Amino acid sequence: MRGFFYLVKFSYRNLFRAPKRTFIMILSLSLGCGFIIWDLNFAKSGSTEIMKDFLSQYAGQYHISNEHYYTEKNKKEFNIFKTMSDDDIEDKSLILKSTKRVNAPVFISGEKKTLGVLLTGIEVLKEKKLSSLYKVVTVGRFLDDKNEKEIVLGKSLAQKINIGIGEEVAIIGQAVDGSIANDLYKVVGLLDFGGGDLEDSLAFTQIHSAQELLSLPENKYHQRVSFDMETEELPVLTNLAVTHWSMLLPEIGVSMKFVDNFTWIVSIIIVVVVSLGLSNTLMITFFEREQEFTCLNIIGAKASWITWSLMVEVFIMGTIAVVLGAFLGFVATSYCNYQPINIELFTGGKPIIMGGMTLKPLVRIYSVPQYYWKVPLMIYFFLSLTMIYPLSRVIGRSKNAV
Amino acid sequence: MQFELSQIDKVYVSSQENQVFGAKDVNIKIHEGDFMALVGPSGSGKTTILNLIAGLILPTKGSLKHGTEDITSMSLEERTKHRLDYMGFVFQDYQLLPILTAWENIEFPLQLRGFSKNEIKERVDWALAQVGLEKLGNRFPKQLSGGQQQRVSIARAIAGRPQLILADEPTANLDSKTAQEIIELFLKLNKDFKLTFIFSTHDQHLIDQIRTVHYIKDGHISETREHHV
Repeated sequence: MRGFFYLVKFSYRNLFRAPKRTFIMILSLSLGCGFIIWDLNFAKSGSTEIMKDFLSQYAGQYHISNEHYYTEKNKKEFNIFKTMSDDDIEDKSLILKSTKRVNAPVFISGEKKTLGVLLTGIEVLKEKKLSSLYKVVTVGRFLDDKNEKEIVLGKSLAQKINIGIGEEVAIIGQAVDGSIANDLYKVVGLLDFGGGDLEDSLAFTQIHSAQELLSLPENKYHQRVSFDMETEELPVLTNLAVTHWSMLLPEIGVSMKFVDNFTWIVSIIIVVVVSLGLSNTLMITFFEREQEFTCLNIIGAKASWITWSLMVEVFIMGTIAVVLGAFLGFVATSYCNYQPINIELFTGGKPIIMGGMTLKPLVRIYSVPQYYWKVPLMIYFFLSLTMIYPLSRVIGRSKNAV
Repeated sequence: MQFELSQIDKVYVSSQENQVFGAKDVNIKIHEGDFMALVGPSGSGKTTILNLIAGLILPTKGSLKHGTEDITSMSLEERTKHRLDYMGFVFQDYQLLPILTAWENIEFPLQLRGFSKNEIKERVDWALAQVGLEKLGNRFPKQLSGGQQQRVSIARAIAGRPQLILADEPTANLDSKTAQEIIELFLKLNKDFKLTFIFSTHDQHLIDQIRTVHYIKDGHISETREHHV
């Protein structure tokens, strides 16, 4: 063990042989490490923040529904949309965390024309507590729990059917018993999703009004939506389906996965480029010491000892670099948490519309703990590869020199 | 202790037609307390013979023994260990590690041998005292003169109390006054501690003070002279 400590001490001292060169190598590696950690944090927290913002407006983290609710057959036969009730949920804590909804494709008729929309009946008080839908109402007000047959609808939809606040619209659909469902609803608010598709296709009313329209019993509804954005794990339920947002919005899920994977690929490319530069510098450094290695061998240091000392030297340098890099990454991430990044900088000032909603432009970056060990591991891996060529060259040459 | 080279040939082959004798029919016996030199012009083969004794290269023919041990049958790693345990080296250009202080340079081979902390301290301090650098142990090589660096190099060679010290042109880079001081140091160590020295040199001043001088020509010992110094 004492021999190992001496080897480490000897290797450490070698770092001060050419301090400027060592400093530059450590700096380039730590800046690379710090940037990669920041970049991954940015990609992950950026996309997570954007998704949270997006999902909290309407879609939520996951849906609990009848296991056949989202099946293709059910979609084709909307009048027999599969329902559920609170009695179907064994874990009652899920009821507190989620809000129930009733959905139906209907026709909405205004002064000028009739259009098809998705009418959603919501629990007003709970929805206000869990989702940020009420924040999207920019004209008029949100639904009132005490009233009935109120409706809020997309701003551009209201323009298309020429309807304003306080006016009435006719809703026509099909009830679950197959009968024609129709009623009048008073427009109380307009939703502003930033001009996306959702403004043309969504309308919300009190859940009791929707149930009445569709001849649904009071205890029956279509789905529960959870807005618990922090929990990654989905609950496991018997006889009910739990559907993650990425399944409901597959295109967005794939985009997010692409951003994550692409960031990793870019990170690996950065490490490879830095490693190649480092490999060249190491080779020069080792060749300069070739005569010294020969001398060490003459006075009794085995080739394996010399090899280990060089490896430990590079690993000490790597460790200093990744610790410094992790610190730099943490500082940069923390700064961007305090001072959020405006993503409109990357879009030339244009708003980002995703899934029919406009996203908030400011992204707060936060640290994702796993990157603080994954990135250093990746750097250690490439550092090991970096050493192979210079080490094999120098050991081979110093043996020949002897 | 006896190092013995018997009928040693070392042939360097660059092509089938082009074979050069680095050493040819070399016979040398080295006894404890010997003070010996290999003398000859550049390319005569004296460094080859020194490398053969050290086990840095293997002979093409002949036997190379240390006591009863056959050095030629040892692996590369075993020969390195053998050098560490039984030999000390002094180089023309000192070959001190620039990142270590004088004290630490002397400590290096002792650490490789696995001596205890106390034993290392005792041996390094002893070696520094022998070369007269007790007060300069904490200096780095670049803070020392050429003569002082060569003294550190000698201290490193003797600290392990080796059975044989090989010195390749040890005075070549020194001015005459410093060279004489170094020669006197070698003589003192040989006399006081019966340390065995074998030099490769063409420094006449050093040759004059050596007891056994082997003159090398074309890899062969052409003449051996015994001096009474």
